[in-house]
Amino acid sequence: MSTAITPLRKHTKILGAALLALAVTACGGGAGETSGGGGSTTLTVTVWNLAKTPEFTALFQAFEKANPGVKVKPVDILADDYPEKVTTMLAGGDKTDVITMKNVIDYSRYSSRGQLLDLTDLATATDAGKLAGLDAFKVGGGAYYALPYRQDFWLLYYNKTLLDAAGIKLTDTLTWDDYATYAQRLTSGTGNDKVYGTYHHTWRSVVQAISAAQTGGDQLGGDYTFFTDQYTMASGLQKNGATLDFGTASAQQADYRNMFGTGKTAMMPMGTWYISGILEAKKKGESQVDWALAPMPQRAGSTQTVTFGSPTAFAVNKRSRSADLAKKFVQFAAGKTGAEAITQVGVVPALQDPAITEAYFKLPGMPTDELSKKAFTPGEVVLEMPVSEKASDIDTILNEEHQLIMVGDKSVPDGIRSMNERVKNEVLN
Amino acid sequence: MASATTRPAPITPGRPRRRRLWRDTLIGWSFILPNFLGFALFTLVPVIAAFGLAFMDWDSYGTPEWAGLDNFQRLWGDENFHVALRNTLYYAAGHIPLTLLASLGLAMALNRRLRAVNFFRTAAFFPYITSLVAVAIVWNMLFNPTAGPVNLLLEAIGVQDPPRWVSSTDWAMPAVIITSVWRDMGYYMVLYLAGLQTIPKEYYEAAKVDGAGPWQRFWGITLPSLRPTTFFVLVMLTIQSFKVLDLIVVMTGGGPGRSTLVLAQLVYREGITEGQFGYSSAIALVLFLIVFTVTIVQFRINERRNAT
Amino acid sequence: MTALHDPPADTRRPPRHAAPTDPAGSRHPRARRTLTYAGLTAMTSLTLMPLAWMLSASLKRDAEVLAIPIQWIPDELRWSNFVEIWQRIPLATYLGNSLFLSLTITFLQVLTGSFAAYGFAKVRFPGRDALFLGYLATIAVPWQAYMVPQYIMMQRAELTDTHWSIILLQAFGAFGVFLMRQYYMSIPDELCEAAKIDGLSDYGIYRRIMLPLSKPALASLALLTFVNTWNDYMGPFIYLTSNELWTVQLGLRSFIGQYEAEYAMIMTGAVLSVLPILVLFLFGQRYFIQGIATSGLKG
Repeated sequence: MSTAITPLRKHTKILGAALLALAVTACGGGAGETSGGGGSTTLTVTVWNLAKTPEFTALFQAFEKANPGVKVKPVDILADDYPEKVTTMLAGGDKTDVITMKNVIDYSRYSSRGQLLDLTDLATATDAGKLAGLDAFKVGGGAYYALPYRQDFWLLYYNKTLLDAAGIKLTDTLTWDDYATYAQRLTSGTGNDKVYGTYHHTWRSVVQAISAAQTGGDQLGGDYTFFTDQYTMASGLQKNGATLDFGTASAQQADYRNMFGTGKTAMMPMGTWYISGILEAKKKGESQVDWALAPMPQRAGSTQTVTFGSPTAFAVNKRSRSADLAKKFVQFAAGKTGAEAITQVGVVPALQDPAITEAYFKLPGMPTDELSKKAFTPGEVVLEMPVSEKASDIDTILNEEHQLIMVGDKSVPDGIRSMNERVKNEVLN
Repeated sequence: MASATTRPAPITPGRPRRRRLWRDTLIGWSFILPNFLGFALFTLVPVIAAFGLAFMDWDSYGTPEWAGLDNFQRLWGDENFHVALRNTLYYAAGHIPLTLLASLGLAMALNRRLRAVNFFRTAAFFPYITSLVAVAIVWNMLFNPTAGPVNLLLEAIGVQDPPRWVSSTDWAMPAVIITSVWRDMGYYMVLYLAGLQTIPKEYYEAAKVDGAGPWQRFWGITLPSLRPTTFFVLVMLTIQSFKVLDLIVVMTGGGPGRSTLVLAQLVYREGITEGQFGYSSAIALVLFLIVFTVTIVQFRINERRNAT
Repeated sequence: MTALHDPPADTRRPPRHAAPTDPAGSRHPRARRTLTYAGLTAMTSLTLMPLAWMLSASLKRDAEVLAIPIQWIPDELRWSNFVEIWQRIPLATYLGNSLFLSLTITFLQVLTGSFAAYGFAKVRFPGRDALFLGYLATIAVPWQAYMVPQYIMMQRAELTDTHWSIILLQAFGAFGVFLMRQYYMSIPDELCEAAKIDGLSDYGIYRRIMLPLSKPALASLALLTFVNTWNDYMGPFIYLTSNELWTVQLGLRSFIGQYEAEYAMIMTGAVLSVLPILVLFLFGQRYFIQGIATSGLKG
């Protein structure tokens, strides 16, 4: 066998080099292949969980109505796999016209790689100033590559029936201490009939983003001692059985919509996107919960309501073949007609307009009490995670350590200490 | 690789012999070509390109730049890489011997003349053909720390405070290993069954005449006769263990923390998620070299044993 | 690598030759047999338990799935789950796509794989073994390492988001060539030599002698390829974007992602995704086990 290998090896080497060169040049080329609007009337848009995210369909229908002859074709992607799938698509040179930016971390990645079309002209147009969360999309040099169409922020959902039964009345000055006490009191039952006082979903933002927002801590800074209070509270509740423990929740892939919608929890901090979900669940008869909203609990001594949130935006793929139509869609979605369309299905638009907020509370099934309305106008909405090139690496570390604290593998101080060390060693230096 | 056909091997040329060589080369290639075209284009070229990328800096956009050994230097200092390497070795250390033992045990148990033995064999093989997505959901529910059947069973037989499986850093990897052994044992069992059937019956009869008990027969005859099978199973298991990804992704996603993060997953994360294709290719190259070395060592040991 | 083509002589014996090794302790045959059956049954039920649980859960209400204690046979068998799922997701489309992909890929893989295997096993020419080594080595490379270059090539050829991409990627795998070559190696060369003297060309030998002789190996390769394609998740996930092209695995995963708490319905989907494979396996089981056994052994 070795006699056969020797002459071949030389050839393989040369051939290998040639193939590599070929493959690499093939990869490198074609960066600027943007063919302008080719008169195509089909617009493709990446979306996630189309069946459970009614806003997309609402927007598409409105856009098709406003532009006769145009057909919007959603590209449905599973929410959990959305970032990976879109990254692969863009890396390979996919030509889907509009790319939905599920969060700002991915946005900073795509925009810094030059995969998105510059939308600065749209962002600096007159009425774009009223878009909440627009600043998050401003990158170095003052350019914008995406326009937000919805702005979600966190508030507290509660089950009125359960709170009334326990004689608890929430106010807009709720502190985390009150919240923890109420959660204990609201917990009852055992086994299959257990009702938890509150439910903390498995995301790290449930603990980390809120404490960063309320303490002014910097999630990219490398010192995370400001998480301490929030973690102490969250793991305390878990230890006392006032919330479904993290391990169980992640093992059985607990669904927060199910937890709240079937009355298994009395309270739940969650983003505004769930409003459309519960409205629909009630309409379909899947949920009988009598619910309302309260502002997020605050740190003791806080003078205003501070919460966190994150905008969702549309961007145009640089390789789109119908870039003009795509831009038109992005502008439409961020504009008034788009905002009205998504308001109809219970989604909070990025466009700040009193008329739209009013229309929002007129939706059938929305709670109409004063506290719910107050919850809707928080004093300050801090961006969930600052935009930076380092955000995604730090995000991974914070998430891993979050899991370790919440499954009880590390104590709160230990977990925070290793967050500090890892972020400093692996990312910041 | 067309060049290989135009260059006959350096054998002293007798003319007819040379023509025959030519003819055989052409015929050989004509057989291989249909498959080779597809294989070269869709597997070989990407593999070579990927390994080339290991020495470059490329973020999927723009032109790759030569980076020399930078990626490997970074690898050396990357804690994630060390964690993933450790976890991969842990997985391999659990998965390889346990699957080997389970499949050998199954094969021994099912290598007999019995009615319905085919049913039992089929049943043992069934986990292997079940989709991974389905398998992961089922086992995650079985391993549910509070309401899962596994822990209910453990509690029933008196285990106080049973493990929390996928929601604890210490038990997540064992949970994954158990699932993977369950899934793979049927496949290797079939290989062992075939191996067992090649052992001449006379060996056992002779051993019995000499008064050897069942254990002695197993150690003295069965195991040595199964060496070729064991070797093949070992090689396949090794390759499979080091490449493990799908099961981990659908079962634990690498968590809790980094407790089940494996190399293949790191390759995926750095490449697809983070878009650092140069770095991710470097990890893949190291992973490949590890598998390759282990396999070569296994071959060498096998050869030496065959020689003695 | 000599072991690859020099299997020890005794493994070449056809399986029929050797009798099952029953450690015949014939003093209490009946008691012994009962014990054996009991042991085997226990072992098998343990192996099948997760699948039984899956089936049982698919016939329950969501709330009953995780209820304690486990009810293996629910009071009310909800067959309606199996009706409802067809309305919830376009399962027929998914099944159709999976079937189309699996059949096409299996056909191509078996055809080109066995053809190439003949070249590697029975024709001698320079560079053959080195080439084969190249095939083997790629088996050890994790797929996600070259996934991206592969994807870029497909994208350049404008084949992403078509079934073609999946077919081209999986139909020419190295595994099939490897498996078939191992089998052909076990067929004595003398047989081919004799056929050559009788005037058969290599193509004739392949068609008239090798193919008929290798039926079990072909069957096992076909089944394994079919099963792997059917169960593949990552390939379709990366290449297939349009929902009408999705396979069963993508559909199932997406269903889980969207309806996280509908355990019963998820299990219904899982059962339905396994069912076609189970049926296929039950039909082909005899060939299959014989096939892998004879070819896989010659490592």
